[in-house]
Amino acid sequence: MTLIDDDNPEELASQTLSNYPPVDQWEDWVEYDAKRWPEKVERHYSLVPTVCFNCEAACGLLAYVDKATGEIQKLEGNPLHPASRGRNCAKGPATINQVKDPERILYPLKRTGERGEGKWERTTWNEVLETLAQKIRTALKENRRTEVMYHVGRPGQDGYMDRVLQAWGVDGHNSHTNICSSSARLGYALWQGADRPSPDYANAKFMLLLSAHLETGHYFNPHAQRIIDAKMNGAKLAVVDPRLSNTASMADWWLSPWPGTEAAMLLAMARIILDEKLFDAEFVKRWVNWEEFLKIERPSLPCTFDTFIDELRILYSQFTPEFAADECGVEADKIVAIAREIGAAGSAFAAHIWRSAASGNLGGWQVARALMLLHVLTGSIGTKGGVSPNTWDKFVPAPHSKPQPQDVWSEVLWPIEYPLAHHEMSFLLPHLLKEGRGKVAAYFTRVYNPVWTNPDGMSWIEMLKDESRIELHAALTPVWSETALYADYILPMGLGPERHDLMSQETQASQWISFRQPVTRVARENKGEHIEFTYESNPGEVWEEDEFWIELSWRIDPDGELGIRRHFESPYRPGEKISVTEYYKWIFENSVPGLPEAAAKSGLAPLEYMRKHGAYMVKSGIYEQNEHSIPAHEREGSSVGTEGLVYADSPDGKKTIGLMMESEALRGFPTPSRKLEFYSKTMAEWKWPEHAIPGYVKSHVYWRDLDLGSGDFLLVPTFRLPTLIHTRSANAKWLYEISHTNPLWMNPVDAEKNGVENAQLVRVKTEIGYFVIRVWLTEGIRPGVVACSHHMGRWRVRQGEGTNRWASALVEIESLGKQKWRLRQLEGVAPFSSSDPDSNLLWWREAGVHQNLAFPVHPDPVSGMHCWHQRVRIVKTQDDDRYGDVMVDTNLSHQIYRQWLGKTRRAPGPDGLRRPLWFSRPVRPTRSAFNKE
Amino acid sequence: MKYGFVIDHRRCIGCHACTVACKSENEVPLGSYRTWVKYVEQGQYPDTSRSFAVLRCNHCENAPCVTICPVTALFKRDNGIVDFDGRRCIGCKACMQACPYDALYINPFTNTAEKCNFCAHRVELGLQPACVVVCPEQAIIAGDLDNPLSKISSLIASENTQVRKPEAQTLPKLYYIETSSAALKPVEQTHSGGYIWAEQKPDPIRDDQEAMFQAETKARTTYDVAHDRPWGWKVSAYLFTKSVSAGAFIVAALALTLSQTMNRWLFDVAAPIVALAFLAVTTALLVLDLKRPERFLSILFRPQWKSWLVLGGYTLLAFGGVVSIWLGAYVLEIDLIRPPLMWLGVILAALTAGYSAFLFRQARGRVFWNSPLVLPHLLVQSLIAGAAGLLIVAMGRSLLIGAPMEPASLNFLTYELLGSLIAHGVFISGELFSSDESIERHRTIRLITHGIFRKMFLRGAILIGLAAPIAAVAGALFLPEPLASYLVLTASFLSLLGVFCWEHTWVQAGQAVPLS
Repeated sequence: MTLIDDDNPEELASQTLSNYPPVDQWEDWVEYDAKRWPEKVERHYSLVPTVCFNCEAACGLLAYVDKATGEIQKLEGNPLHPASRGRNCAKGPATINQVKDPERILYPLKRTGERGEGKWERTTWNEVLETLAQKIRTALKENRRTEVMYHVGRPGQDGYMDRVLQAWGVDGHNSHTNICSSSARLGYALWQGADRPSPDYANAKFMLLLSAHLETGHYFNPHAQRIIDAKMNGAKLAVVDPRLSNTASMADWWLSPWPGTEAAMLLAMARIILDEKLFDAEFVKRWVNWEEFLKIERPSLPCTFDTFIDELRILYSQFTPEFAADECGVEADKIVAIAREIGAAGSAFAAHIWRSAASGNLGGWQVARALMLLHVLTGSIGTKGGVSPNTWDKFVPAPHSKPQPQDVWSEVLWPIEYPLAHHEMSFLLPHLLKEGRGKVAAYFTRVYNPVWTNPDGMSWIEMLKDESRIELHAALTPVWSETALYADYILPMGLGPERHDLMSQETQASQWISFRQPVTRVARENKGEHIEFTYESNPGEVWEEDEFWIELSWRIDPDGELGIRRHFESPYRPGEKISVTEYYKWIFENSVPGLPEAAAKSGLAPLEYMRKHGAYMVKSGIYEQNEHSIPAHEREGSSVGTEGLVYADSPDGKKTIGLMMESEALRGFPTPSRKLEFYSKTMAEWKWPEHAIPGYVKSHVYWRDLDLGSGDFLLVPTFRLPTLIHTRSANAKWLYEISHTNPLWMNPVDAEKNGVENAQLVRVKTEIGYFVIRVWLTEGIRPGVVACSHHMGRWRVRQGEGTNRWASALVEIESLGKQKWRLRQLEGVAPFSSSDPDSNLLWWREAGVHQNLAFPVHPDPVSGMHCWHQRVRIVKTQDDDRYGDVMVDTNLSHQIYRQWLGKTRRAPGPDGLRRPLWFSRPVRPTRSAFNKE
Repeated sequence: MKYGFVIDHRRCIGCHACTVACKSENEVPLGSYRTWVKYVEQGQYPDTSRSFAVLRCNHCENAPCVTICPVTALFKRDNGIVDFDGRRCIGCKACMQACPYDALYINPFTNTAEKCNFCAHRVELGLQPACVVVCPEQAIIAGDLDNPLSKISSLIASENTQVRKPEAQTLPKLYYIETSSAALKPVEQTHSGGYIWAEQKPDPIRDDQEAMFQAETKARTTYDVAHDRPWGWKVSAYLFTKSVSAGAFIVAALALTLSQTMNRWLFDVAAPIVALAFLAVTTALLVLDLKRPERFLSILFRPQWKSWLVLGGYTLLAFGGVVSIWLGAYVLEIDLIRPPLMWLGVILAALTAGYSAFLFRQARGRVFWNSPLVLPHLLVQSLIAGAAGLLIVAMGRSLLIGAPMEPASLNFLTYELLGSLIAHGVFISGELFSSDESIERHRTIRLITHGIFRKMFLRGAILIGLAAPIAAVAGALFLPEPLASYLVLTASFLSLLGVFCWEHTWVQAGQAVPLS
């Protein structure tokens, strides 16, 4: 194994310094103590690879475990990781702050007062497990299998929890997807089946980002490396963002269209590509479902490709550069120039949208579809330098036992009004329960902080405090959170270097797996110690979740009568409880192609190989999978339909696995037509015929609807910083030292118009309340738009407990009656004494302002996405207003929920289904569960 | 072998990973930074740009921090790395003034100076510095500048590079590729708009400066880290007490040389006692200003002979010794050795008063202090302080014991004071009306005459401390006793106040212009 480095060998040879210690010395690496230098004080380390658990990119880390103390000294990158290549963003090395956080929760806590009162006592894991097991067992025995809910913010693993939940037979997987990426997912899924893009930046000639991948996002560090690599090789970069992100600052073109008009701009680019014949006719003809479009929508026209192109030009004729310039507020010549660059890049055009415009706006899925139209026209799908469906570039190995899917459908997770949602309508939970749609017997929040993260957090507080709606709440979390305050049990779970997980992400045109490990445990095991459970080597009584779920599952079904236990039995020791080591050992030995052979070459068993290397490249250079023939073994029992579609013999029925082209069965794309679906029959059949093709939907914050002269603004409330990660980085002092406040970005032109000065406090009024924040005047934002990062405004309600003091303000949440609430900051950040002497040096005072509490829910009627952008009015503060005040009326928020609910078009769709069968659905239930009634 | 850095801002995405990896590797405390990323913005919407600049130690070929360090705590390795040894550091903060790049800080836990040392402890093992390893974009290139085949050498050969403040003649070994030149020039930036996601530490001196020089602003700094101005009142006070000490001796020697009829008690006894007492206070202030005062003797026992802190320390020691012997010889009536000792003492007193000019000149970061007038001006100030000090002693004694001092001595001191005050005025004018082109110097002068230091300068150093005593002394020449004596006494006190105000202004204003 050699260190992964892009440098060419000639340069490497001339370098005298290397990036990492040689792998063969990782088990005993000697370094000089930096603090004692220039005295040469040797320290011996065991270097154990693991995976970062801050964002979801799964970058490799290399832990330096001090052999003398058994503690982690620092975390560098893992040079053997195929995506991160030994490099990290600021959040990687800051993991050590989280491990050594002086305010860590080290023991399981049990609530003693009322929910939310913040009174806790230490309890035992035994009590926790018994209580939860009894609650769940009772629910299962009474067939209340939608009342057990696992609500996850960051999965941080692939497939483990799906298996646990399906073993229990519950429909209870809830996620954060609908406050994150639903609209982009729907847009991509409608085109290509897979709901995510995998851009091959490294080989691109032109890149168009409706994202900020040089500072944040999935997958910041791996993608940022490849974007800059491409730039250095001569590729050009255009970035679309209403504010000057760091990414935009690195771009050749920064475009800041009015938020919500992005689709119009992209369609104008498509029109230029069509008009100037810059498109790849051969690709479009071969891979787009144009025949289906013509047959259904233009039955009177001849079904020829030329007709289709003519129709396309007619369909998008209104999107002239001049129209787009007027509609979007971007210079027409920039749009033309970029369209031509895209056309010239052809199959080496890579673009990305994940949140931003897609998650900000009503109809954001049309932005993603319009962007994909550019890919389709240029034939840059599945190509080198283009974009692939994410499923090609991600590898999830199968575990030793796979339970049957559950045959139950949760109406609370997948309400009937949102048949096309991607995915669970997670952020509506308080409203759905308020309407009496169900209750939750056992609610697990896991690395999830809805009170703070979701819109309308006060409704979450109201729900969580109501023990008739949420009977038992356990918060599984490595850190304090605003939501954990409303739990019955707070269960401390391991950080990145304190747990096992297997992860793969579509960071490039290859497939890899990476192995998160409890590094102190592995270091001790390397020394020959026997450790049965990870908590034995973790600080305090911090568990890892894998072991928790095994233990809990056994206790739910101790005698095996529920059929759960058998899925948690060892594949090596029949009838006995599986260990976490055995779980991964089996996977590495049986489910990862090539791994056993690669390990054997190094003289290692597969598990040993992964323990030592932390990552494995399964396959690289993955392109044009759509052109691949379906192998013979998969074709067994399949049949070919009238349209040339190849059907598998699956219990779902009608499941296509490919299509016939020139008498060959090709893989195609996982859509009903196995082609790229310009025309979505699904949209038409599921009551949205007007949106069957990519188009332009006016946003709920359409700028022409704003009263711009009277203090109305379009608020962009979601942008991330390169240093922080949502709600989990509060325990990283070095990250908060760099970034700790979130002023409201405003253009000086607007400030002048509205009589606002820099650093002035203003009231930002939303539909359900307001917040009070400081203005930051900047030339880096479009006039008419204000923006505020969502990272800040963390709070705690008691001194010395709750969200870390590096990051949070002490607040009082006061009921003003009739479901009106006020959050007020009592104290900002201040130095404090702790086991970390740095806490006395804390020099910043602001914790920022929380916004999301003041936002009502805006569920997109199609994708189910919470449409984040807000129409706000900015007014002067009133006498009593203080920095950080948030005022909310949850009655109003419920009314707004009802208004948006009114925009939906309910299931059932064709065949009485709750959801199109070809759509993905996390923790997919049986076919019969899809039937309404 | 000559290690250096290239920071390639075609690649840098401003992510701060280098800052955090460095903190992790070197356990850098909160509030201190060995490397940080500055953000500056230019232009109006929609043509707005943001540039990043990764700032840190330049590992100068001609490193002023090494030259000024009195105890070899800072040193240059054979491989070109400018390293430090915290075990030796006495915390004098002179390196922070010497460095034109704000690279050094005092670690609040160890109270010793630290900075980027190129991760010398890693380089020793053949490993890259932590910032190089972490950088997602490989924008930080560390390597051997002497090896033409190294990546760093080929980048420097093929790309346009800049260094920070080449005019400081430190020969930086950190080269920048493609960042806005304004990002590297603190005097072209304004911080007044506040930062993008962090608080600014309050800094009225910077605010005042930026308001005054708005026209020179080319870029808005939207992220930066704070740097303290390391020398405070103790340094100004040390300059002052040193002036009194040296001046008392010089003035006494002059008096004794000019005439045999001068007051023996005043010039043979009181003057050396004043000199010794103020020398003791000077030494105490020097020691107290150290962050590691208990290591004070390292200056003498682990000297770095190029540092004027060392040469100054020995000067003070020698001066104190000579004055003590001279005084002792008077008491023991060993008259033979007194004249040569006196002249040796005068030379040492002049050095004592003036060596600070060489020390402050070694503070290469502070352009204002680097003026040829500083040495003679310090001497003039010591003459004022000496005369005024002895006048106060003489008149104080007269008031206490009721015996008037004979006029010759008083007249001598009074004329000496008047002459020195006039010279002081001339030198201040010289400092403030110099035609130096340097922007830092120009700014400092404007801050003194029209900015935040105006009050202390104009009221303290000029009106109360210079014009008033000149007027009082001049008045005393025409007025009868005891009014004349009171006027001279008042003038003496005001002169001392004036000298302190000027020295404090000079020290504080000299640190006003930001280094980074």
